[in-house]
Amino acid sequence: MQIVVAVKPVPEAETRLRVGAGGTSFDPEGVKFVLAGYDESAVEQALLLRDAIPGSSVHAISVGPATRTEEVLRASLALGCDRATWVETPAGTPLDPLAVARSLAGALGSPPPDLVLCGKQAGDDEAGLVPAALGELLGVPDFGFAVNLRWDAGRSRFSLDRPTEGGLERWETPTPCVIGLQQAWNDPRTAKLPNILKSRKAPIAKAPAAADPGPGGVPEKFELPAPRTGARMIDYKTPEEAAQKLVKLLREEAKVFP
Amino acid sequence: MVDFSLTPDQESLRDLARKFARGEMAPHAAECDKTSRFPEEIYRKAHEVGLMNLNVPTEFGGSGLGLFEQCLIVEELAYACGGMTTSIIANCLALEPILLGATPEQQRRWLAPFCAEYHLASFCLTEPSGGSDAGALRTRARKDGDGYVLDGEKCFITNAPNASLYTVFATLDPELRTKGITAFVVPREAKGVTAGKDEEKMGHRASSTGTVRFEGVRVPAADRIGAEGEGFSIAMRTLDQTRTPIGALATGIAQAALDLAAGYALKRVTFGKPIAEHEAIQIKLANMAQAVRAARLLTWNSAWTIDAGGRGTLESSIAKCFASDAALHVADEAIQTFGGYGYMKEYPVEKLLRDAKLTQIYEGANEIQRTVIARELLRGYA
Ligand SMILES: Cc1cc2nc3c(=O)[nH]c(=O)nc-3n(C[C@H](O)[C@H](O)[C@H](O)COP(=O)(O)OP(=O)(O)OC[C@H]3O[C@@H](n4cnc5c(N)ncnc54)[C@H](O)[C@@H]3O)c2cc1C
Repeated sequence: MQIVVAVKPVPEAETRLRVGAGGTSFDPEGVKFVLAGYDESAVEQALLLRDAIPGSSVHAISVGPATRTEEVLRASLALGCDRATWVETPAGTPLDPLAVARSLAGALGSPPPDLVLCGKQAGDDEAGLVPAALGELLGVPDFGFAVNLRWDAGRSRFSLDRPTEGGLERWETPTPCVIGLQQAWNDPRTAKLPNILKSRKAPIAKAPAAADPGPGGVPEKFELPAPRTGARMIDYKTPEEAAQKLVKLLREEAKVFP
Repeated sequence: MVDFSLTPDQESLRDLARKFARGEMAPHAAECDKTSRFPEEIYRKAHEVGLMNLNVPTEFGGSGLGLFEQCLIVEELAYACGGMTTSIIANCLALEPILLGATPEQQRRWLAPFCAEYHLASFCLTEPSGGSDAGALRTRARKDGDGYVLDGEKCFITNAPNASLYTVFATLDPELRTKGITAFVVPREAKGVTAGKDEEKMGHRASSTGTVRFEGVRVPAADRIGAEGEGFSIAMRTLDQTRTPIGALATGIAQAALDLAAGYALKRVTFGKPIAEHEAIQIKLANMAQAVRAARLLTWNSAWTIDAGGRGTLESSIAKCFASDAALHVADEAIQTFGGYGYMKEYPVEKLLRDAKLTQIYEGANEIQRTVIARELLRGYA
């Protein structure tokens, strides 16, 4: 089975983002791009399936400028992916989900691979649109928010669950298909040191971005969340006084009760 | 051109260590410290991901890293827990004599099966009667047929209660002083070997430390490392290699102390403003930051010198001595920044002070490092 896992470089979780020069994105200077948690789960799932289904291979693919994609592709190789492809976009090109899906669809070619796995959404903008758009463009079934992906070899079908409000939906799908996976339900592995060193020397294939990225949206503005307002300390001499002041504040300022 | 930037390879190794340290070690650091628990499951995982036998060549199943890369990793691990780091890197110390002094056949025989699975080894040099004066060690190796018989006791040996292999330094004749010392590889299960209980320690409580007794232990000549009388040189050359990572370990503790102190100083309000805005605290933080950076750079300098083929005795003694003093000082100042909370076990800074203290003592006490530094230094003026 040919398994493809699409991975997106996202800023490391602890990064303090700054607004970039144009005001429409964050400033990438000094930002470290890593594999997001959702994508780690997707890679893990791809590797588990590969090891369970004889004759399978896992191909990691990423769309974006080299400065960002190289590290996530090498991280995917270090985790155990068999090969990696970088879909090259010029630095600074906005990458809306449809443009990314078009580039992926172009690079994956036809016929499409048996299974394309993605994180259910990206770790940064959390748009969650690429799996659906890619499924449409490839003309194959697509599912988002999936967990418990299983392969039924006898019937050549995948089954998967989708958590819903208070329950689980179970679905079945033939291949080829595109599946967006939930984060961390499968305890992603840690890359081993020797594999990390090997991945640094592994070749990364290159594919062109879609010539026509499609009528995507254009980012208008990027803002940081407003700083949290600080906690208020209450001055008091006795616990009774503290309680009285607190009740007064809750009633009159926070208005949590009349 | 001098260049202090890391290559992408080095960054990815550091990232692996950081992820392991913060994901696997840090969550258990306080608990293991409190209960003096030896978290074997974490050490097993460290072996599994390749963070254990860092200095052993890949052909024998180790990670085959240079000293610089080892230091990047050790600093990250120690940032999460000094004690766990001591136990994780003790294999590097114990196996280094084999890397330096054993024949290729011995290396294959010992290292390959050892590294393939999770195993711990201990470096057995120090004795109850003295550590600094290693030339005066008393454990005897008597010639017996085609082998030797060992008798004596080692103490303060890292991982000894949990190790399966010991590299042991013993003397053929105490009168010969350093020239009688010979190195051996002794499996834990050899008859006459007794590992003592884990000692109660001030810090590094996630690490185990204990005695090893040798009573009539037969060691075949094939398990001698190097020539008879070469043991002292092997021990000293081993410490020349492993001192630098102790500098990195101390730097990791110091960095953790600085980060905790700075974070706290921004939040703790006295006299109407965060204590970080009081100049006395700013000066403290500024001095701590200088100490941390200097410790790291001296450590890197030493690692670079040795990786480039230098002996590095001077550089590694300076790095180990400076970084460990810095760690103690920075941890102390971190406690001071935390005030009364810093003194409470509920907060993580007092552990850093207890952990930092050991780095001034083991792998050659700092008094000895200063003696070495002065000797090497004065040689250049004589
Ligand atoms: C937790 C822990 C783990 C350890 N792990 C290991 C291990 O794995 N393997 C191993 O072999 N050892 C290990 N050691 C032992 C350690 O290396 C020794 O404790 C250290 O070398 C000092 O030796 P000592 O304790 O016998 O002190 P001593 O040698 O008795 O020294 C006592 C004091 O006198 C000073 N001093 C001694 N001689 C001189 C001198 N000539 N000039 C000036 N000052 C001097 C020392 O610096 C020290 O301050 C460990 C120790 C500890 C505490």
